[in-house]
Amino acid sequence: MTTVEKLKKILVEDLNLEGLTPGDIDENAPLFGEGLGLDSLDAVELIVIVQKRFGIEIQNLDEGKAAFQSVHTLASYIEGRLSNG
Amino acid sequence: MRSTDTAGTRRESKSWSARSIGSRWQHRFFYSLIRLAGRRAAYVMAVFIALYYVLFRPSVRARSRPYLSRRFPGRNALLRLWDSFRITVEIGKVLVDRAALGILGPGQLTVRHSRREDLLERIREGRGLILVTAHAGCWQFAMENLRQLETRVSLLLLREEGDVDLHIFEHRGDDAAFRIIDPAGPLGGALEMLQVLKHGEVLCIMGDRAMGGDRSTVEVEFLGGRVRVPVMPYQLGSATGAPVVVIFPYNSGPGSYSLQVEKVIRVPEDMGRDPEAYRLHAEAFIRALEGFVEDRPYQFFNFFDMWSREPMR
Repeated sequence: MTTVEKLKKILVEDLNLEGLTPGDIDENAPLFGEGLGLDSLDAVELIVIVQKRFGIEIQNLDEGKAAFQSVHTLASYIEGRLSNG
Repeated sequence: MRSTDTAGTRRESKSWSARSIGSRWQHRFFYSLIRLAGRRAAYVMAVFIALYYVLFRPSVRARSRPYLSRRFPGRNALLRLWDSFRITVEIGKVLVDRAALGILGPGQLTVRHSRREDLLERIREGRGLILVTAHAGCWQFAMENLRQLETRVSLLLLREEGDVDLHIFEHRGDDAAFRIIDPAGPLGGALEMLQVLKHGEVLCIMGDRAMGGDRSTVEVEFLGGRVRVPVMPYQLGSATGAPVVVIFPYNSGPGSYSLQVEKVIRVPEDMGRDPEAYRLHAEAFIRALEGFVEDRPYQFFNFFDMWSREPMR
């Protein structure tokens, strides 16, 4: 399973996105606001999940804000961090 | 007109506003009065201005009516007017104190801090501390006082564009007094809030003002009606292990304030995203708030109609 697929599954299952399946999520759509419509509670949950499931702690605020733009940017961020050890 | 910020907090046209009811020149007049004649002179002026507002500005009475009519049900017209005057005077005094603290410095006011050692003990646990408070007393004064907790204090605060009412640190040009986290910013301030707690610092959140819709709030009973309150403080407590402390600041006399620690809430870890998981914790907060308004009915300044179905901001 790719990181994008894992993230889509997490979004649907852990964030209780009613009526959505992983296949419905556009990986380039914004996670917050007009895209997927996530809110600050989702943000907290997602940040914690990324830390627990992928072992990635976000230290830099600007870096984190850029990473959480979309499923695609988040997956790229996770893969980049994992490949850098 | 409707727009959505980056965290999904709706910005829409609404009947309620967090902005001060006073104009820019009225605020400047009060700031000058405090500088030239001191806090007590400004108190006296505040009483007359409150009387004017209550008698001749129906919109001012309307702002406090949803709360007062539930706190004091069955009042006749004269008593309703009296209640409105009392609460307007009280908020006037608080605003004077707030400005005096910023303009003249902390020596102007005294504070009694209940269970300060208890708070310090919680901070020493190293998992951060989440303070849940309400629009009660002078919460900004409470923030100032919390600086004595020997750690940085951050506050989740949505500021209305064009608001002319200055915060304490703005009077002083001291932006380091406490840090503001904007809930309308990227990710709703989630990254900043988690970092505050990770560094073992204090995060303060208003528990009586929900920002966002039904997905981030639960409906609980308050003063005989249903209101929606945020679950963010309790979700953060669950995600980080930080204790949640309910605290209410209130005016306990002329130039004197108390910080009342009501209760400490421990939220079990990993409770997840569902707001319903935090219902019990939100109810614990609202019961504490009910006790507060029972004891100090004229020191609750949430002028938003909490009982309406309009989304709170």
